[in-house]
Amino acid sequence: MSTGARRRGIRLPQPDSPGNGSGPDGLSPRSLTPDPTHDSTVGDEDPRSVSRSFPAASGPPEPEYIHNIACVAITAIAFALRFYKINHPDQVVFDEVHFGKFAAYYILREYYFDVHPPFAKLLLGLAGWFVGFDGRFEFEAIGDSYSQHHVPYVGMRAMPAVFGSLTVPVVYQIMKECGFPVVICTFTAALIALDNGHIVQTRLILLDAALIFFIALSLYAYIRFRKVRYSEFSRAWWGWMVATGVFLACSLGCKMVGLFTFFTIGTAVLVDLWDILDIRKKYPMDVVLKHFFARALGLIVVPFIVYSSFFWVHFKVLSHSGTGDSFMSPEFQESLSGNELLMKSHEIRYYDTVTLKHKDTKVFLHSHKERYPLKYKDGRISSQGQQVTGYPHEDLNNQWQVIPSKAIPETGRGRVVRHNDAVQLLHISTQSYLLTHDVASPTMPTNQEVTTIAKEDARSRYNETLFTIDIINGHPGQPWKSKASHFRLVHVPTKVSIWTHPKALPEWAFKQQEVNGNKNSEERTATWFVDDIVIPAEDEDLFSREGGPKEKVVKKMNFFRKYAELQLLALQHNAGLTASHPYASGPINWPFLLSGISFWTNNEKLQQIYMVGNVFGWWTCVVALSVFTGIIGADLLARRRGIQPIPEFVRNRLWNSTGFFFIAWAFHYFPFFLMNRQLFLHHYLPAHLCSVLVTGAVFNFIAGESINYPISVPGPGMRRMPTARSDVGMKAVIAAVLYAIPYLAMFFFLAPLTYGTPGLNGDQVNRRLLLPSWTLHFAGKATTS
Amino acid sequence: MQASDSFRSRRPPSPSGARQTLTTGLPAAVPRFPQPRYVEEGTYPPQQMSADEKLAAVRQDHNAMPATFGRPSGAAGLGGRLGGGLGRISSGEWKILIAVLLVACSIRLFRISKPNSVVFDEVHFGKFAGKYIRTRYYVDVHPPLAKLLLTLAAWIGGFTGEFDFKEIGMAYPDSVPYVLMRMVPAVLGVLLVPITYLTLRALDCSASTSLLGSILIIFENGLVTQSRHILLDSPLLFFTGLSVMFWVMFCNEDKRPQHKAPTVHGAKGVVISGPFSRIWWTYLLLTGLSLGAVVSCKWVGLFTIATIGASTIKQLWALLGDLHIPASLWMRHFIARAICLIAVPLLFYMAMFEIHFSILRNSGDGDAFMSSEFQHTLQGKEMHDTYADVAIGSTVTIRHVNTQGGYLHSHPHNYPGGSKQQQITLYPHIDSNNDWLIVPALDPSHSNTTDPMKTLTYLKPGSVVRFRHIKTGKHLHSHDVRPPVSEVDFQQEVSGYGFEGFEGDANDNFIIELDEEGGGDDGGRKGNGRGWGGDRESGRRVRTLRSILKFRHQLTGCYLFSHKVKLPDWAYEQQEVTCNKNAVRMNSLWYIETNENPLLPVDAEKVNYKLPGFFGKFLELQKVMWQTNAGLTSRHAYDSRPHHWPFLRRGINFWVQNHRHIYLIGNPFTWWLSSISVLLYIGVRGLLVLREKRGYKDFHHSAVVKYDQLIGFTVLGWALHYLPFFLMGRQLFLHHYFPALYFSILTFASVFDLVTSTMSPRRRIQVAAVIMALSIWTFAHFSPLAYGNPWTKKHCMSAKWLKTWDFSCYDYHDDYSQYRITTSAPAGEVVHTHAIPASPSAAGVNPAVKPVENLPEPEVLTKAIQKEKLEPGRDVFEAQPIDDLNERLKANLAMTGANAPVDPKEKEKLKELEKSKAEASKNAQKEAEELEGKVGPLLPSELAKVGERVEKKVSSADTKVEEHVEEKPLGKIGEKSEAGSVDPTTVQSVEKKEATDKPE
Repeated sequence: MSTGARRRGIRLPQPDSPGNGSGPDGLSPRSLTPDPTHDSTVGDEDPRSVSRSFPAASGPPEPEYIHNIACVAITAIAFALRFYKINHPDQVVFDEVHFGKFAAYYILREYYFDVHPPFAKLLLGLAGWFVGFDGRFEFEAIGDSYSQHHVPYVGMRAMPAVFGSLTVPVVYQIMKECGFPVVICTFTAALIALDNGHIVQTRLILLDAALIFFIALSLYAYIRFRKVRYSEFSRAWWGWMVATGVFLACSLGCKMVGLFTFFTIGTAVLVDLWDILDIRKKYPMDVVLKHFFARALGLIVVPFIVYSSFFWVHFKVLSHSGTGDSFMSPEFQESLSGNELLMKSHEIRYYDTVTLKHKDTKVFLHSHKERYPLKYKDGRISSQGQQVTGYPHEDLNNQWQVIPSKAIPETGRGRVVRHNDAVQLLHISTQSYLLTHDVASPTMPTNQEVTTIAKEDARSRYNETLFTIDIINGHPGQPWKSKASHFRLVHVPTKVSIWTHPKALPEWAFKQQEVNGNKNSEERTATWFVDDIVIPAEDEDLFSREGGPKEKVVKKMNFFRKYAELQLLALQHNAGLTASHPYASGPINWPFLLSGISFWTNNEKLQQIYMVGNVFGWWTCVVALSVFTGIIGADLLARRRGIQPIPEFVRNRLWNSTGFFFIAWAFHYFPFFLMNRQLFLHHYLPAHLCSVLVTGAVFNFIAGESINYPISVPGPGMRRMPTARSDVGMKAVIAAVLYAIPYLAMFFFLAPLTYGTPGLNGDQVNRRLLLPSWTLHFAGKATTS
Repeated sequence: MQASDSFRSRRPPSPSGARQTLTTGLPAAVPRFPQPRYVEEGTYPPQQMSADEKLAAVRQDHNAMPATFGRPSGAAGLGGRLGGGLGRISSGEWKILIAVLLVACSIRLFRISKPNSVVFDEVHFGKFAGKYIRTRYYVDVHPPLAKLLLTLAAWIGGFTGEFDFKEIGMAYPDSVPYVLMRMVPAVLGVLLVPITYLTLRALDCSASTSLLGSILIIFENGLVTQSRHILLDSPLLFFTGLSVMFWVMFCNEDKRPQHKAPTVHGAKGVVISGPFSRIWWTYLLLTGLSLGAVVSCKWVGLFTIATIGASTIKQLWALLGDLHIPASLWMRHFIARAICLIAVPLLFYMAMFEIHFSILRNSGDGDAFMSSEFQHTLQGKEMHDTYADVAIGSTVTIRHVNTQGGYLHSHPHNYPGGSKQQQITLYPHIDSNNDWLIVPALDPSHSNTTDPMKTLTYLKPGSVVRFRHIKTGKHLHSHDVRPPVSEVDFQQEVSGYGFEGFEGDANDNFIIELDEEGGGDDGGRKGNGRGWGGDRESGRRVRTLRSILKFRHQLTGCYLFSHKVKLPDWAYEQQEVTCNKNAVRMNSLWYIETNENPLLPVDAEKVNYKLPGFFGKFLELQKVMWQTNAGLTSRHAYDSRPHHWPFLRRGINFWVQNHRHIYLIGNPFTWWLSSISVLLYIGVRGLLVLREKRGYKDFHHSAVVKYDQLIGFTVLGWALHYLPFFLMGRQLFLHHYFPALYFSILTFASVFDLVTSTMSPRRRIQVAAVIMALSIWTFAHFSPLAYGNPWTKKHCMSAKWLKTWDFSCYDYHDDYSQYRITTSAPAGEVVHTHAIPASPSAAGVNPAVKPVENLPEPEVLTKAIQKEKLEPGRDVFEAQPIDDLNERLKANLAMTGANAPVDPKEKEKLKELEKSKAEASKNAQKEAEELEGKVGPLLPSELAKVGERVEKKVSSADTKVEEHVEEKPLGKIGEKSEAGSVDPTTVQSVEKKEATDKPE
């Protein structure tokens, strides 16, 4: 039985590190068929019988200092490669446009809106502030010069570069903690340290460096946590678990990709809890529950608090009005100092003349003398009423007067229009009332036509000219305010709401935007606001009728409401990013590096930065992943036929430790297939990191028969275990050195594209077009003709 | 007798009492449950048995003992001969089955001829039947089997294909055998009922459970509605049910111990039961065939294949773990299943397409979806052989490779903007305006003394030539002016330029380049520099139909380019042609289709399209279907999302006329019950897994194991037929849930079997009867929506159990008596027109794939003036008339009888309209005359009329449009990615896009 391995370790320290049993359990035939032989299999499994398959320990473990030397050396190389010519180019590169700008906003404390969580951007802002950036540079376009504007960009780039470099020792330590020998650890770390893709992405003002660093750190902390699992609830146990939670929150705080890390760790935790639940582990139910709640605390509650605190800081820092205002709700906007809403919002009273603007498409509700044509092109027929359209510019024809549908007092607060009041809207220049009726709109047979009816004819169709002011999230009695109140205009008899969409009407309406009545009165996009009160009803100052010009105070808004609002918006916008981009690529291309991203070019010096990984390294990872799948599949089949090709403890490591890396890779890669938004090669970098870990483990599996075992910290009162030592020895070193030759060659070959220097002439570029699908610039004429 | 009815003693058989209440005239003396035969076969000792199996076998024999003394019943023989676990069906049950079948017939076929007008997607499937009969090629997203069946019925009924099923509500003329066509889905719908019964029986459920299951299927409003019209879901469901039934029978057979007939004269014994017996092979093969049939009805059938596949893998995995089975035997098992469940369905599927192609021999409106090679296999689209070598002086037609191969085209109309020169477009049909003469480039030095038109100069890569439009004498020309629609920097306008006596200028010169990589993924015409079709010459000089060309503008270096952007009305919505400096390769490829050159000798080499064989056609069509399917993303007024389905949140409006209404909605009782039972199973199963982990021995209980496997299978089927829809971005409808519904009803039946397994037979049938009665009552309650029967507003309102059910009650009369008046209306007259769009799931609606087709072309225009419709296309369904209108309605009715347009609201308007109608039709006639008289479009007159202010508006509107032109220069330096963020303008445009996706 494939689950045997897990059971064997019942009271013994298990060799596996993380994600115990995640592989075999899910695939076990037992979950599909109740296996009649089930019990007997359990019966002949004597936990102690394991020891017979252990080889004698082959030599002492490698001394710690060798590990330290290797780790420091590879880290030093990583630093050197990331800081090499970090000042080049002194121009804005690729998405520095965005993230540089955001850093500037933090320094200026102006509110902005972005789909990514704020942690990494806060760090960039901090770095900018630290090196004395004043926020006065706009980062407007790729290629803008930093040095001309005296931007301390090197300091800002140093921040990601440090994160990028530190990722390398973390990877080294992950492998070391999983019990791999020095050569394997170095090999794995080098696959990250000398990867062109990682280097280019981590030495620019981008978020990925921090993201990848914290993802690696989360994996590391979780592995450490797993290793102390026999001393449950000890200080180290708690410490590593909370550390995992904090690092998870940090990676999620950089980009939403961190969510995949959550899933990875979450899966491992679930498998772990599943084992604890097993009756044969002899845990009483209350201990099981204790385990459960401890993990819920450390891996859900703690990360949530940490993650939320980033936003708390975000809101605290960005207290001024800025470019992001218009994304937010009116309440939110009023909490930003200097916001337009705060300054210019007024209550609307009856007989005020106002202009109404559609929230999403920013057009005014407009009407003009021209009428709908009798017959549309598709043969349908209109009412030939006056046209009502959406028009994006200021115009006299945008003005509507608010007419009450009930008796109102001569003066005072009774004249204020309130939530759910029914009103008529009088079009000033044609003196006609807004009306909608059961006639199909010009372009959409399902929606109602909106038109107007002359004042003198309106009496007979009075009901049809009534509209309710339905303020969104409004409460009874809430006054209707310009700018600040987002509302729907709901027709009283038919309950349609006035709606517009970016479809232009034909020539007869001067290609203005269609306005019609949407049958879904709750339609989210049928939101309007009053842009301005053009002519107040009582010719007096808007301020004075509200009791004099008050000092506008910044309103307070609860942090949690702000937080929830921003989360929701970010989700919606993330899904909306579907526009195509010349360098966007599908996930299927990524592992094979079928396409890169052009970050920056310099036409004079023929320099360019092209983000692409070390092709040799990446393809090695692909091979390793498929080898791993093959081994696992073959093992599964063989076991099913009663053959045990791999020694138990090696198999354990393969399933549980390497399987964990594999799952991490799968979780960081496959969900992208479900996403419709535009995707880029750099989204694969976290998954690439995980695939590198798999590669290291597979290398170890191929090079040697044995592994370092056990590696977990024994719990109190546990018996000594038989041990095994890795026997990769010299042949692995030789293999690694042989591998390093083409790997390094590839790195240096692609380095001009990574560092953007030196410039390459046409032929040199042509030679670097390793795959025909790459789109390098300045390619020689021979290929593009 | 009763005790021995079932060999499984732990579960009592169905009670005989129940049967007496249900079927009359059964001789009471007939024993109900004859002994299944294979118990007798069990006396042969199986060859390899584990201890458990042996024990079971012994127990079986023991139980069977008394039964072997039973009478030899013919009915038992029937079940026994069928094998596959049907042996336990008694003769009495066969009679019940017949009764059930009769009930099903009466429910499904009741007034099937009503309504005698087109309902919902009959629009499509009726039309397709017509196309088969007229052998006109069409393209649809669904495979052909179900449509072929419908066609067969239509053909037998003498349908000639003249009726075009144009829109919902059109009355059928007498020549359309629509009743016969509707009979196909209806009969298959009826047959689903016995299939349900037998499946449940084969799943080892009791007779009362099976009866319950089949009753639930009969009285399922949605299935009834769907199976009564010319639609594909009923055949789909029938074959799904059939596959499952055969598979279950196969599994039963597979579980039986194998035994061989006694050897006769040393000959090898024939396996007569168990694996590899004849009956085992039969069921396996039948499963494969019906799987092929499911997937040939709709691609949803792939989910059925997945279900059976998952079940097969589970079986094989269990076999693999059985170390008693040698590897060779396992391989036999594996290969048998691979052949029958993979190869057979695939062959079946392909055979359907072979039939499809062999029927649709003639060109039709689906041509334009296909590649030019494909089109030339159709009669009416063939082309004569044409000269292979292109030279200066050749008259050629030039086709675009990527966008369904339109021809480079020009006509004597000018661009309204830009250079105001003659339009160049892409036009998909053969026309003399597609002819171009290749003339040599302007040679200002006149160094070349020989007239190049007189000597044969082959076109080679690098040749510089001009293209002269033969009809108008203009030259293909490009210059630094922005094109009319794609007004971006790197696009240039392409126009026809020149006049009599003017030689043209250097902007007419184009350099010919051969495309290095050939046609790319276009229909397998891989070139690799050697051209298409293995013509080696085509890589060196320009060859008709073989070389793939790019035309580079000599002076500006841009490439002649076209993309799926339509020009406005003034160019008859033909496709835009530009000259692009950053051209996407695939959109700048062209080839020469026909070539005439007076200088070529008559016997010069000729070429033609390489016609694709069956596989080429098959694969191409699959690709087109896939793309069309993926392109169906627009919203439909009655579409729904998968999470709405299990709880029946919304139905589909099929048809409204004469105050009658057909609305697809399920039987809420059945529907909810079955969904709940699925959830219940999932919940309980989860709990059991947890309990097992804590050491409870639930799975040692044989009943738990049995029902876990049984319900597990049906829930697996449900999940595989339901969950994948969540991944689909395309438009979805309630009827997509039907296969999953079938499985959930099976689940409910199994749960019922489980819950009642400890009850006495009498109690069990009582419980079943209550459920049946409730389900029948619910069915009756909603049946007017299924049959389009008269109903009243009051009843209708009381049937709106959920707010989200949007059948419109306002269309019904207040009282049944009013229907008597209505029936006097001339049959088939459309009183209400309305806008139920048919689902676009069928072809011909996908703008993404559909090329510009049947465009009004000024020269060949024969546009019929459409008859005016008297009513604005309003949507009657969601509008709720206001109270006083009802009174007006009544008054109106009283006054005019039912015949008049019943929409009083429009009445006043109508009078006006009628007045203006005469005027309008006069206008329309004038318009037609104008068009016929080749009068150009009257565009700018309007602008002039409205004056400056308007012009400003128009231009501002134009600039707005420009902002949203998405095209970005490829290869431009370091694009910003969105990755970081959105700036407000992009977000706006995104939101705008969303807005357009709203219901249309």
